[in-house]
Amino acid sequence: MSPRRPSLLSAAESAVLPTVLPAGARLAARDLTLAAGARTLISGLNLEFAPGEIWCIAGPNGAGKTTLISTLAGLQLPAHGRVELDGRALAEWPGNQLAQRRALMPQALRDVFSASVFETVLLGRHPYLAGWGWEQAADRAAALAALAALGLGAFAARDILSLSGGERQRVALAAAVCQDAALMLLDEPLAHLDLHHQIDCLKLLALRASTGGTIIFSCHDLNLARRYASHALLLDGTGLVDAGPAREVLSAGNASRAFGYPLLLIESAGHEALVPAH
Amino acid sequence: MTASRALTIWSVLAVLALTGLVASLSLGSVAISWRALAHAMFQPDGGLTDEIVRSLRLPRAGAGFACGALLSLSGALLQVLLRNPLADPYVLGVSGGAASFALAAMLLMLPWWGVDAGAFAGALLAVVFVLGMARREFWRADPVEASPRLLLTGVVLAAGWGALITLLLTLAPERGLRGMLFWLAGDLNGAAGAWPALLVLVLVLVPSMLAAPRLNVLLRGETVAQALGVPVARLRLRIYLLASLATAAAVVTGGTIGFVGLVVPHMLRIAFGNDQRMLLPAAALGGGTLVMVADLAARTVVAPAQLPVGVITAITGVPVFLWMLLRRRH
Repeated sequence: MSPRRPSLLSAAESAVLPTVLPAGARLAARDLTLAAGARTLISGLNLEFAPGEIWCIAGPNGAGKTTLISTLAGLQLPAHGRVELDGRALAEWPGNQLAQRRALMPQALRDVFSASVFETVLLGRHPYLAGWGWEQAADRAAALAALAALGLGAFAARDILSLSGGERQRVALAAAVCQDAALMLLDEPLAHLDLHHQIDCLKLLALRASTGGTIIFSCHDLNLARRYASHALLLDGTGLVDAGPAREVLSAGNASRAFGYPLLLIESAGHEALVPAH
Repeated sequence: MTASRALTIWSVLAVLALTGLVASLSLGSVAISWRALAHAMFQPDGGLTDEIVRSLRLPRAGAGFACGALLSLSGALLQVLLRNPLADPYVLGVSGGAASFALAAMLLMLPWWGVDAGAFAGALLAVVFVLGMARREFWRADPVEASPRLLLTGVVLAAGWGALITLLLTLAPERGLRGMLFWLAGDLNGAAGAWPALLVLVLVLVPSMLAAPRLNVLLRGETVAQALGVPVARLRLRIYLLASLATAAAVVTGGTIGFVGLVVPHMLRIAFGNDQRMLLPAAALGGGTLVMVADLAARTVVAPAQLPVGVITAITGVPVFLWMLLRRRH
């Protein structure tokens, strides 16, 4: 770790702790079936996501990770069944109230128009705006805190069109953090990030979970998932789903089956890692 | 962007608009002094200068302002709707429909109100076409980026209208051609009055300003907008209808004045940023001032002859815009 880099966690703690969530969000999938065309991605899933839990959704390309996250966020309707937040079906939530309760960070965005990083992150406050829609001082403070939490303080005035892929990714994450919702859904939040930014991001998510947040993210790095997620949901693309504690679900046997490639679990000095067998 | 910064920008633009209005009222074939102008505005007694100011110059300046404001506002809205900085009020064919019907009305030798009614009917028909063909874009709920399909639908329909306009021009008798070409280039000479266009301006601007925070979010893409609680399909439909109404009213009043709707929102974006809450009213003020002043030039530079105002907006706008664009770092 470079000594010049400001300590992230202290900034993150000071930024994230004061806005501690009023009550944990309980998300539940009830008999949830997802399909893409004629293909069933998930069939009859019953699962609860509780406050304090960090769920990693893993699976091969096209297995339905994005579809699942999008459905859990209420942006897409399932083929069958429903998703409930705090005991109420997502479809019954008014848009604004839902947006104050759950944040979604989608996969890489395509931007066309210039905007500053600060303005972009500040959009996360949209669910809280009233009247003609001008932000209050508290909204600005929340955006600055989210920028600080992701080590983006120095980027506030930068144009989003001039950012690298990893920087954009962190800006999108900051916008989701700024939305201040008890439930966070993140689609590939670690993509394009350097290892130390991946770990910072996961620590930030862990911190939010430890203060009562519910976190669900998709991820391709099974080792990071095993280390930081409390639970995992493994899709194999044929409708079968394995869900439970992360280390049990993401075992060498399960992962080999789902990804169609043999993996081995190796151990050294108390650390474990899944590696390709050949 | 804060409310106070936006207010400052609007105030500066409003002062420019007022200056342009005073210039439009006092300059022309008969120069009118400040004193006479104040007299005509506040204590008219029916004298010649009062008549020139009140029944000739004021309606024309008002119509010019309304046209420019509507076109610029419509351009700003469509650039967000299509997430494309090159969109202008005419890109989805509203003006093509209006022009086709207006030219047909001229061909039939209808009076001015017949031409205006034709233009409005044509604009409505063009809107109905786009709505019908792109209904999936306006009514589906899943977060799919709809802009490219909508843009293509509109562009192809606009091309169809273009062909129809060429056909009508080919069929037109020699003596009618000049009036038709002036109409197509944008001309305020025959503008019947400013009130209908100014009324539409208010009717479009207020709902646009109310939707502006949601438009800021929509600029980040459909998925982000939906995740932040914005009903995307409904918002898109509303923006499309507002922009179409604005374009239709402007085209009925002043013909197809080019360039304003593309360039004014861009210049303001380059100068002050892309916050829609600031940009939409600023675009209305800026576009209105530009067309009002351009029309002043159109009726004075080669007086007693008059130029179509659309020629002036394009001739002055192109170099200024290129300079602003090339001067930027990115």
